[in-house]
Amino acid sequence: MLLQRRLLCTQVPKRSIHPTHHQNSNLNNKKWAIKQVTKSNFAEALEEIKTHIFNSDFIAVSLQKTGAFSSPWQKVLPFDTAEVAYLKAKYAAERYQVLQFAVCPLSVKSSKIIAHPYNFHLFPRDELKMGMPSYSFFCQSSYLTAMAREGFDFNACIYDGISYLSRAQELAAKDRTGNPLPRSYMKPSQSPTVYSVADSMFVDRIKSRIKIWKSTCQDSEKKTEDDLISTLRKIVSGGEVFGSRPSLSIDICSERQVQLILEMLHEFTDLVPLLVPAKGGGSQAIRVVLTSSNEDKNVFEKELQLMEEEHNMQVRGFREVVDLISTSQKPVVAHNAINEFAFIHSKFIAPLPSTVDEFRSSLCSVFSHIVDVNHLMREIGPLNKVNNLPAAILYLKRRFTRPLHMEIPQHIDGDEVRVHGRDVLRISELFAKLCLILRIVPESPEADYSTSSSTLECYANVFNPCFISSSDLLDDDVNISTEKTRRISVANLVFLWGFRGMMSARKLKSLLKGSHEVFSGEIDVRLADRNCAIVVFWAPGFAERFLEVMNSGGTNCEPIKDMISEGLRAACYRTYKRVCELSIWEPSLADALEKALEEASDLPEANSEEELPAICWDNDELTNLDDL
Amino acid sequence: MNGSSKFYRTKIPVVRMVVVMKNLFTIRAFHKSLISLSSSTRHFFCSSSSSASTFAIKNVTKSNFESALNDLRLYVKDADFVAVDLEMTGVTSAPWRESFELDRFDIQYLKVKDSAEKFAAVQFGVCPFRWEPHRQSFVAHPHNFYLFPRQEIKGDDTSYEFLCQTTSIDFLAKYQFDFNLCIREGVSYLSRSQEKEALGRLNARYKDRLLDSSSCWREGVDTKLVRVADILFSERLKNKIAEWHDGLLGDRNGASQTWKTSNDSKQQLKTIFFKMRPALDLTGFTSHQLRLIQLVVKNHFEDLVYACVAGESSSQQLIVYTDSASGRDLLMKELKDCLCKEAEMKIKAAIGFRHVIDLLSSEKKLIVGHNSFLDIAHIYRKFIGPLPSTAKEYVISIQKFFPYIVDTKVLLNASTVCQKISKKSSTSLSKAFALLCPQIASGVKTSGLADKRLVKVEVQVDNKRSLNWNSGAKHEAGYDAFMTGCVFAQACSHLGVDFTLNPSSVDLSHHEKLQEYINLLYLSWINGDIIDLKTGERKADSICSKGFKAHHSKILFSNTVLLWAFPAKLKASEIRECFCKVFGSSSITFIYHVDKTAVFIQFSKQELVSDFLVLKETLERSNDPISVLHPLSKVLQGGRTRAASYEVYKQICSSTISKVFFADQAEAVGIEWNAKLSKPVLEVERQVDFEASENQLYTDTRNETEIVSGIDPPLYMHSPTDELDSLCPAEAQMSK
Repeated sequence: MLLQRRLLCTQVPKRSIHPTHHQNSNLNNKKWAIKQVTKSNFAEALEEIKTHIFNSDFIAVSLQKTGAFSSPWQKVLPFDTAEVAYLKAKYAAERYQVLQFAVCPLSVKSSKIIAHPYNFHLFPRDELKMGMPSYSFFCQSSYLTAMAREGFDFNACIYDGISYLSRAQELAAKDRTGNPLPRSYMKPSQSPTVYSVADSMFVDRIKSRIKIWKSTCQDSEKKTEDDLISTLRKIVSGGEVFGSRPSLSIDICSERQVQLILEMLHEFTDLVPLLVPAKGGGSQAIRVVLTSSNEDKNVFEKELQLMEEEHNMQVRGFREVVDLISTSQKPVVAHNAINEFAFIHSKFIAPLPSTVDEFRSSLCSVFSHIVDVNHLMREIGPLNKVNNLPAAILYLKRRFTRPLHMEIPQHIDGDEVRVHGRDVLRISELFAKLCLILRIVPESPEADYSTSSSTLECYANVFNPCFISSSDLLDDDVNISTEKTRRISVANLVFLWGFRGMMSARKLKSLLKGSHEVFSGEIDVRLADRNCAIVVFWAPGFAERFLEVMNSGGTNCEPIKDMISEGLRAACYRTYKRVCELSIWEPSLADALEKALEEASDLPEANSEEELPAICWDNDELTNLDDL
Repeated sequence: MNGSSKFYRTKIPVVRMVVVMKNLFTIRAFHKSLISLSSSTRHFFCSSSSSASTFAIKNVTKSNFESALNDLRLYVKDADFVAVDLEMTGVTSAPWRESFELDRFDIQYLKVKDSAEKFAAVQFGVCPFRWEPHRQSFVAHPHNFYLFPRQEIKGDDTSYEFLCQTTSIDFLAKYQFDFNLCIREGVSYLSRSQEKEALGRLNARYKDRLLDSSSCWREGVDTKLVRVADILFSERLKNKIAEWHDGLLGDRNGASQTWKTSNDSKQQLKTIFFKMRPALDLTGFTSHQLRLIQLVVKNHFEDLVYACVAGESSSQQLIVYTDSASGRDLLMKELKDCLCKEAEMKIKAAIGFRHVIDLLSSEKKLIVGHNSFLDIAHIYRKFIGPLPSTAKEYVISIQKFFPYIVDTKVLLNASTVCQKISKKSSTSLSKAFALLCPQIASGVKTSGLADKRLVKVEVQVDNKRSLNWNSGAKHEAGYDAFMTGCVFAQACSHLGVDFTLNPSSVDLSHHEKLQEYINLLYLSWINGDIIDLKTGERKADSICSKGFKAHHSKILFSNTVLLWAFPAKLKASEIRECFCKVFGSSSITFIYHVDKTAVFIQFSKQELVSDFLVLKETLERSNDPISVLHPLSKVLQGGRTRAASYEVYKQICSSTISKVFFADQAEAVGIEWNAKLSKPVLEVERQVDFEASENQLYTDTRNETEIVSGIDPPLYMHSPTDELDSLCPAEAQMSK
């Protein structure tokens, strides 16, 4: 009754899915044939996707998270340098959880895309009872509500989502579990050991014990014995059964003893040693399993391998898919790559390093080619629609009319909801279109992919919020194609806060214009969030002069003096960077900058002469709070 | 219905009643073929004929919230007490935030505070209980509210976020919690302080707007007319509006000229009356065009006002005629008031579930919970405001809203009578329920004398009633609240509260038999620490400390040092060994693991704390062979090891950051308190060159730490005892 009641509850909203389903009017339902994968069909889907991954040219990925940023300034903003953008992405990745991971292996053959979309539902269930993969995670109400509107089934996700462990966590788990299954199959050690007297005594004692045990085992196989006697014999000899084979456990107290026993066991060809790991790491015993013949030994070893694989599968869970993508060495396509891959790195590889350079090198060792469709879009034109996938697709459709046909070979039965994870198809479509336009992929199906891969090379692994088309972020050799976007050193940016009440950027600008001569040149004012503005001084040196004026308390300048007395504060870009470095994630940027300034006063200004990177300033793109 | 209600009034024992009803049922069943009964009556009879009836609990979501609230108002008004229970998305934000035996009273509060601040309440059980003298039983109305903290009003920039503890979510899933229902249909809420803030923001906004009444609803409209199309459009609209405008004036002047419009613009421009003034309703324009119109109105017509009025579905764009400057101001004011009122309504509507809390508070009912300190903290945080920083302030504040709170866990452990009955077995809610209320828990009918002592509870959900209702949905807030209420009623009866004597209901809040238990809550179950809500103090002559660890009094916080970020895999026993080598074999009373990265070390003497901290510093500063060979070097190896007095533990706990490992947490918090210490320097001498300020800062920090570590032991500590080994098992257990 109870169950029924609760099931009934979930059914109601399901019906409401269909309207959204039909909203994608220009796309037929077949198009969203995305295979939804949960724990129950994971094993089967894994096999399938394995072949698709290895047979496709690209892998598109898209993640659905429980949140993105807590306050407006904490999202990656256009004036963020790569370092700052990474720190913001890192904060988000550590805070929120991935609930859906869509993977779409795809190939582009002239004007056809062949896609195999899968959407994996994840839940960080603590399968090993070790507080892994995630002790806790944050959820943003608005994100959950939006997912609910799409008809996402949270119950299915939480009850039946696939768990996972990152590579780093798996290593830690191996150390910590006292898993009763002897799972590491030991290879004979290479180094010859020098025996001490105690060592040889220990070895002799164990050897004789094994011999006795072996002979009893073999004896009992011959004779048919009374149950009682065989049980008693087992107790006396300390024998156990491992599967159908007899086994003996030998307790050990040090790794040295493990070595000794393993070496000694070479003498016995029919024995297979297994390590029983101890809870706090290391081993607590060696289990010796007796096999009846050489063939039996081979069979047993194969069994062990299978068992280990099964166990690994349980431990790694969804990470198997990430590992598959990694080993396939196929280029991975994403949208907003820095955010997506910060999540992927932190959930499936290892905790995020503290700098963007370490992050990049660590990530490159796992995924050799990462392509950001945002970045490719930038190549084509000035788009403020870059962040909106459907808008970008529409734009391309209008401008580049070459038809593109998407083919999804897989068949999905029933009328299950297939819309989840459709962003991955959008990314695939956008990517394919961009490939054709940018000639990344051979025009004719016969041509070899490898010839074009060098074209792709120059688009890969760019993690810059400014989407500069250069693999080295700090280089200046960029060709920005629009007249609206200009490049500027961050030294010319100043953060301003503490102005009265809510003020529009325009008002603030006119206020500033009249206050001091530094503002007489060309300036731009934008609001970074409700209470904090960013001012761009296009003439070099003016930002510095303004900060000097501010530091002097507005001497010789009454308007500034008045504003300071009303609470106006200013900070350079370095302070902003420090806010992110020190993780001062206050809800309001003004508060965060204030805190960072306090901190700054007790830190040496050692690298004040460091070269400041440049960013691209796009007049259109900043958060415009006037419109809110 | 008539028949059944008459039936209620007859005073017969319940067991017999069921029998009679069974007979009646057969008669009714016979009748059923002749006359159709109202469904409610049918339900009533059907359910009471089975041994445990299982009609569903009253689930409340967005869709039925209004009606459920109205019903609940009546139930609460009549209730003798109201049992509450909450389900949360988690309990501890990090493993070291769990309750430890070594947590001082103030720290226990900080841990609860952190939990209530970070996690969301997703289910709220409310179950009013009313004694019905004529039927000699309680009537309970269990309600199960689904909550979801949705952001209903636009406001501050901060997003609505909450933490989920993976194991707790998994736990809820195990008991088939419906997450879909919660997220899609959960009732949202606004705390009192949120409401106040929102109203304050609203006022500020409209006050601001009054200052510059020249500008209209959208600020900074200065779209430049660049495109030819725009210029042409503006010109055409200018003419149209001028025509209309002149037409109006002409009307007044007695001319009978009417405004003629072409067909297409008639659809777009319609004359209506807005607040008794002639107005043009603008429909079918794009937002860009509207901006242009706004510009035209602003630049060319002094007595016209462009206004944007929010309608039922979408906003309405109007050009309103005003006959004078004062009329114009009046209109502006009216418009503002209108908008303001509307925004206010929106805020009122967003209060949502808080209405239930306000109801409980205004009715001043006795609130019953089970181990409910955390629940109450959640109620405070979610529906009243931010939690105060100390337990005392919090408690004073909570008493204003809920003057009478009673906790069944306290009741069961404190009263000797109840202890005798529970035979010192576990006082978990479901166990207590099964033990104290077997007739409800398992539907077992007891007979004779035993039955007399059992308090009867009849459940009413909508129109269905049952005397042995059991939905069996453990860990569902509504059902848990019901169980809590049943346990309380039964415990009252064991304590000698005789419900049957009173002609009407009993005033439980002031009942003499309950006085010594009211407003006492377990602050931490593991310590057995009870907080008195009237004073905010720890209950000294703890009536409930019986059976509680005697060693609790032996914990000397001033003798305790916190050690963290020591070499990984260093065991407690090894740390003890190192310390004993330096300070003597009896110098350490115990070592307690916070997590694998941190330990508490309690010294036998208070001086040893500072001795150790000083020694640690000297060892770290010098690099000579002696310090390398020093026994403590094993602990200090790696150079990351940190140590601090117990007060620092409090600072770390009070931070809003929650890292999984304590060492990481301490490092993250360290940034904060360094900043705090440096503040005075910053203000006094801003211009000093760096070297000087660094020195000053350094000494400053040191002073501060010395002061901190020299703080006297808290008042509620008991006399010190020499040796303590009772915690050693804990040490062994924790050091795995």
